[in-house]
Amino acid sequence: MERKVAIVSHVQTKHSSDIGMPRERMLFNLVKELHNKVGITRHDVDSYVLCSNDFEAGRTISTVFEDTPVGAYMKDETKVEMDGIMALIYATMRILSGQFDTALVVANSLGGSQFRPFLIMEYQLDPTFDRQVGLINELNAGAFQARSYMDKYGLDEWFLDAISARLLRNGAINPYALRSKDDATPEYVASSEYYYEPLRKLHCYPFSDGACAVLLACGEKAKELCEKPVWIKGFSNSLETCRLGERELYTSPSTKQAAEKAYKAAGISDPANEIDVAEISAKFAHQEPIICESLGLFPEGSAEDVAKNDLAEITGKMPISPSGGGICTYVFSAAGLINVAQCCQQLTGEAGDAQVPNAKIALAHGQDGFCAQHNSVVILSSEEG
Amino acid sequence: MAFQMGEETRTFPITWDVSANKYKIESRGLRILTEGMKDKKIRGIRCHECDTVYIPGPFYCRKCHIEIDEVVEVKDTGTVMSFAVDMADIRGNPLPEKRISAMIKLDDCDAWFIGTVENMDWKDAKVGMRVKSIWVDEPQGKFSDIDHFEPI
Repeated sequence: MERKVAIVSHVQTKHSSDIGMPRERMLFNLVKELHNKVGITRHDVDSYVLCSNDFEAGRTISTVFEDTPVGAYMKDETKVEMDGIMALIYATMRILSGQFDTALVVANSLGGSQFRPFLIMEYQLDPTFDRQVGLINELNAGAFQARSYMDKYGLDEWFLDAISARLLRNGAINPYALRSKDDATPEYVASSEYYYEPLRKLHCYPFSDGACAVLLACGEKAKELCEKPVWIKGFSNSLETCRLGERELYTSPSTKQAAEKAYKAAGISDPANEIDVAEISAKFAHQEPIICESLGLFPEGSAEDVAKNDLAEITGKMPISPSGGGICTYVFSAAGLINVAQCCQQLTGEAGDAQVPNAKIALAHGQDGFCAQHNSVVILSSEEG
Repeated sequence: MAFQMGEETRTFPITWDVSANKYKIESRGLRILTEGMKDKKIRGIRCHECDTVYIPGPFYCRKCHIEIDEVVEVKDTGTVMSFAVDMADIRGNPLPEKRISAMIKLDDCDAWFIGTVENMDWKDAKVGMRVKSIWVDEPQGKFSDIDHFEPI
């Protein structure tokens, strides 16, 4: 019989622009919190999948100093140097293989206080061309993408302001969020300075310190360890070319492909109606509609309609990022894993004021690369099915 | 068949500038070690669960996964656990004279200290030989306060 994999528990830090402690201390405290919550020790974990970035950590094979703080001494351990949602997918496959019954996924970054992630991104560019041109960084590439979407669908900047305002209001009810404003309006967002026009400060992610840990287990073990396992029903990822000039930036074919595979595995045929809540990794306001549309959650080019009709609000027809998403917090390396943790809160009814009523199926998304080059989708459910 | 570089294969100089990295550390163990060295003392931290003594002392035991804070003094004498006879420095530049770099288990400590062993012929170096620390005359609270080790 095919194995099932579920999420037993999850913890995250109170994200900050400067968390004020070294990575090792942050991770030790985080994992101890998870151990206490579940009632286990490090000896109950079979396999570890860690996620961080060498550039940002300032050392190669960045996780070597993170292994022992998370309890991986003399344990099976491996590393993912992409978004944390890929680490979750990797850990899921390790359990599905039958080799391990439990796996701890830990992702972290000090992208707020140690090293600004957009500086790392420069090193993802082709060193012989895009980097040599000296005109591209992550933020102005984001501006290219935003304008591409606006031009394609004849939109002005208002939808960007409306998306950020909604997310900032959501962030105000998320105790882990770095940036928030409980009465944010599109006008408030439009009053923030331009970074790379049309992108303003409040259309862009904040540089964030933080970490997230998620404990996975095979079905039987998950039921032993917790009352409400969250089941992983489907997952997939797909990536586009690293060359910006060879992509249509207003859409995300890699997201579409990843979603189609994940939906198939999860038995979802009508995502907009079957998915109750989605946590989207959008580093910039315009990425949310691009990704949601490629996920089939909204029609193409509908960003303005979605905002005008409050469809993506927590109380809306298709709640998007009740956590406040990437506009409130974007922990490099951990963002997608944090989305998974936020989805779990929704599915176990622990999301507090951000709770989407009766949420049973959730979608967590993660991304990597310039203009969301690489996209991952995980479908989660409160029901084993 | 030997690999042949293509006609259009070129090498291309690129730079990696990561100088802006602000690296955070938990400094207690290093501070305890370096402060002690000013008085020619070597101090680490012991795990109250498994008795492992670490130098420099971490804030947690790597094996027991618990917080630890018991400061202990270890001896400045020890046993060579392994050694290399260096012909070159760490960048590969030739050294004018051969150098013995050694991993030394200080008495009362579990983690190994690293230093050079001097005043002996490299041909006589052995795993298991006893050595003592030779301190500089005026310690500053730096790792270099132990100038080198010598056979006892």
